[in-house]
Amino acid sequence: MKKVLLMCILLVASCMLFATGTKEVEEKTYSIPENVKAAGTVTFWHAMSGSKTAIVDGYAKEFMEMHPEITIEPVYSGSYAETVTKGLAAIKARKPPVLLMSYEVGTQTMLDSGAIIPVYQLNKGEFNFDEITEPILKYYSVNGNLNSMPFNSSTAMMYYNKDMFRAAGLDPESPPTTFDEVAEYSKIIMDAGLASGGISFGWPAWILEQMHAYHNKFYANNENGRNGERASEVLLNGKLGVEILTEWQQWAKDGVLSYGGRTYKANDPFIAGEFSMLLQSTSSLAGIIKSSDFEVGTAFLPSLPGYEKGNSVIGGASIWVLKGHSDEVNAAAWEFLQYLAEKDNAVAWHKKTGYFPVNKDAYNTLVDEGWFENDMRFRTAFDQILNGSDSTAATGALLGNFVQIRDIVGAAIEEVVVNMQDPKTILDSTKVKCDQVLSDYISTVE
Amino acid sequence: MQTTFKSSKWLPYLLLSPSVIIVFIFFIIPSGESLFYSFFRLNITGTRKIFVGFTNFVRLFSDPEYIDSLIRSVLFTVIVVCLGLAISLGIATVANNKSKFFNIYRTLLIWPYALSPAITGMIWSLMLNPKIGVISNLLYNIFGISFNYMTNSTHAMVFIIVAAIWKMLGYNIIFFLSGLQMVPKELIEAAIIDGASPWKRFIKITIPLISPTTFFLIIMNTLYAFFQQFGLLHVVTEGGPGRATDLLVYKLYRDGFISMNTGYASAQSIILLLIVTGITFFQFRTAKKRVFYGN
Repeated sequence: MKKVLLMCILLVASCMLFATGTKEVEEKTYSIPENVKAAGTVTFWHAMSGSKTAIVDGYAKEFMEMHPEITIEPVYSGSYAETVTKGLAAIKARKPPVLLMSYEVGTQTMLDSGAIIPVYQLNKGEFNFDEITEPILKYYSVNGNLNSMPFNSSTAMMYYNKDMFRAAGLDPESPPTTFDEVAEYSKIIMDAGLASGGISFGWPAWILEQMHAYHNKFYANNENGRNGERASEVLLNGKLGVEILTEWQQWAKDGVLSYGGRTYKANDPFIAGEFSMLLQSTSSLAGIIKSSDFEVGTAFLPSLPGYEKGNSVIGGASIWVLKGHSDEVNAAAWEFLQYLAEKDNAVAWHKKTGYFPVNKDAYNTLVDEGWFENDMRFRTAFDQILNGSDSTAATGALLGNFVQIRDIVGAAIEEVVVNMQDPKTILDSTKVKCDQVLSDYISTVE
Repeated sequence: MQTTFKSSKWLPYLLLSPSVIIVFIFFIIPSGESLFYSFFRLNITGTRKIFVGFTNFVRLFSDPEYIDSLIRSVLFTVIVVCLGLAISLGIATVANNKSKFFNIYRTLLIWPYALSPAITGMIWSLMLNPKIGVISNLLYNIFGISFNYMTNSTHAMVFIIVAAIWKMLGYNIIFFLSGLQMVPKELIEAAIIDGASPWKRFIKITIPLISPTTFFLIIMNTLYAFFQQFGLLHVVTEGGPGRATDLLVYKLYRDGFISMNTGYASAQSIILLLIVTGITFFQFRTAKKRVFYGN
């Protein structure tokens, strides 16, 4: 027993020894030296599944035809979370890919990782960042600098089943705009026996974040972590948060809310006609239209009365350049990123997926082409985001270890709408957990 | 001609080395690393380490979520092991009566074991799908239960337990069958002559004689139930709804690989290591006293 104790003490002591001097010196700014020719192999780990994989592969192929000295190797690496996890593991193993896709919640974490080269440092003026669609640029910029290249940007909106609205005697052209109307319309549809539920959400924790921005409320302190200080507290247990969850709980009790999991699981029952409305990412638009045998309608997110008008937050992912490669390869990666953001590519990407085009001119091109007249549904998300406020609260939060916070909030929402716990109590304890995550995070980066 | 085997001092070490090397690379070194990291808080890329002493462990045991997960895992394991073994022994006893299709049954029974946990999850999620599942429809039409594992915590837990038991059923049955076939016919015949009822024969003769098999299966099933549910959970519930099916292994995954809390997750893996050591130690000790291995 004494031996074991002694060993423990030795072990702890040796750990302390190792621990000293592990803080690495922060990087200097990087720039590609003059006269470097872009060349080499650029590995690109992304999370674009299904038909999107082929689209990304297509971009790589086209680019390589134009630049024979560069090889782009796009690798589908699983879900967003899996891609980020793999990327970070590769960074730890000192074999990082050149380009890594990270979803929006990874932004602060990637920024603090010390493993990235911010794109504004790669840019020597050949690309004008103002060409990027404004709300997207705002979301991914920190202190006015763009650190990663936005690629697939989306936001949340409402999808609804027009056939079901018609059958219930509701006007299919005037979808609900408030929470009360959502409940009211749902009940009409359910009473008519057209569906077993009224509404469901994809990514519920994200919808809660959206709702804060949409009502112009901060989700975290230090102005959503955007005033130069990292966010150290979440504000989700305020009046608005409690009000939203109370409402959702009531919906769940009335059978109006049909809980549909944490990601895209709610899409299938919506397509199958089990409920009439769905709050989901705009990136599902093309897929939902294709798979539904009813007329799909799109609308702005519903809101609560008594709050200022904010905006829906940009979601989706951006592409980061990772350190640890030659100047030639970095230049090649930067070349490829610029190519992806070109107008024509952005237009094509939007048409095939429903994601926002990152290029500002792409919107005008789409209007000129008559794309939106052809299908107005692709325009809803634009209208929502371009008509909204551009305040900091509406830009969305930057949080350290946001991935974990979203997981905690996701579980909290399930406690409220599935296990019927008291919203205020759950949100208060959620805040404590999230604040712990933030303070742990800050202690490792500062 | 007879060759004499000259033993050198190094030969035993040489012969042992492959397994020792494997154990070192895949078990000792990673465990050591986990132990090391469990005293730290790391940043996301592991480039910064802050020594926090036993904070991770203290936090672990003051985290109600972890305690809940621990209790849930223990309950889950007890149910899966007890129910699983009882059902398998029952089926094995029936299958042991030499019937015409004995060999076919035996082959069919092992099938579930050949499936990966993820596939098991997929199959059961289809059968128990709240809307289109065969079983959930039967449950609704016959008993009026609307089974929904996505929105009902109890249902989710029942789902996981049933799927986990089913997955291990084939394995258990095969071992029980071979155990049952080892029971000497003479003993049973003697008991019949003495007038022992079938139930009595089962309790007094069969059960003690197959105790080595049972003991082996208890260990295997406990380890299975406690540590190998990741695939199933990941495919079916992802620990939800809420944290209703959040077993220790899944919590470890979430904290370590989704939330990237390397130190906190390492501390959890050390606790798991202690638990598995404890289980094995305890079972071997009691086994010596209780299990009948024959002469």
